Amino acid sequence: MDQLIGFAATLQQSGLSEWMRGSLKALPIIESIHVMAIATVYGTILIVDLRLLGYPDTTRPFTRVFSEILHWTWMAFAIAVVTGVLLFIPNANTYVVNKAFWFKMAALLCAGLNMGVFEFTTFKTVAKWDVNRPVPLAGRVMGALSILIWTSVIFLGRWIGFTKGYDFSVPKDLDFEFIQGCLQCLDALRLG
Amino acid sequence: MLAFAEWLETTQISVTIKSINWVVPLVQSIHIVTIGIVFVSLLMIALRVLGLTRADQTFDAVMARFSPWISKGLVVLLATGLTLVLGEPIRELMSLSFWLKMSLLALGVTSAMVFSRTVATRAITGSGDPQFSMAMKSAAMMTVLLWLAIIFLGRAIAYDVEVWGSLSLSPRA
Repeated sequence: MDQLIGFAATLQQSGLSEWMRGSLKALPIIESIHVMAIATVYGTILIVDLRLLGYPDTTRPFTRVFSEILHWTWMAFAIAVVTGVLLFIPNANTYVVNKAFWFKMAALLCAGLNMGVFEFTTFKTVAKWDVNRPVPLAGRVMGALSILIWTSVIFLGRWIGFTKGYDFSVPKDLDFEFIQGCLQCLDALRLG
Repeated sequence: MLAFAEWLETTQISVTIKSINWVVPLVQSIHIVTIGIVFVSLLMIALRVLGLTRADQTFDAVMARFSPWISKGLVVLLATGLTLVLGEPIRELMSLSFWLKMSLLALGVTSAMVFSRTVATRAITGSGDPQFSMAMKSAAMMTVLLWLAIIFLGRAIAYDVEVWGSLSLSPRA
């Protein structure tokens, strides 16, 4: 844990972190993008999970539902990870000591494990239940678990916001300088 | 508006919501989960219009699968959203993002209703699976962007001064 706290302090002292802490608009904008990405991850995974549970029916091949939607899930998940890391860096010190944050990370790990187990067990026999047949019980259980886990990821994420706090004060610059903000953002990306 | 928000804050229901400290985070979480459901349902219909998904299904089947989730989801969003306004009236009502969000929401809901009504009329006359014009496809893309903007503005309510600066309606500005 001490090493983690040290690592968090190093992250928080980085140039990118300093820029985000000093910028008025960076964190709200990144956080909004994080929410859009999470909404997309959640909604698309739910379609696959519900199909595992037999909703709306089993007439559409599972492999079709799965392969057509999962690239949207992964794309949104990648955006959620990048924006998540960007939210973490400027507040690293407060995140590493936040319980809700670690519960959320554990829930994400569970979601990954659940998906991995599904791929290497039930999904191996997909040819037998791809269409017009109920999904094997194990697959249905994993579908239900996935809904529960991803819902808890969202709840825990929101809980972080209410328990974490900030250890710096947000600058009070009241001028509406959107274009200048965009230029600053580009500068920071070049530095990063 | 500030006077109204201040009055709202003194009402019994607002006081109750504020006095239980887990209500706002819980209701916000339900709001976000529902946003995921509504947004992706809409995305699926838009992608079908663009011909990118579910080409194996008729358009009516895609509408039947997703539009009930949109209308029911919107009811949940309205209920949770109202609770959040009652819980934090000044933060919500004295925010430029909130009013921009409400305007885009009115636009989004109206266009969705017009769209489903035109499609429903076509289904009754039974003219088969629709061929979507370029204009319809552009409208589908615009709709997705519109709902992304709605999500963005929803999150931005919490940061009205930071995002809008001197344009913010917040008493903090």
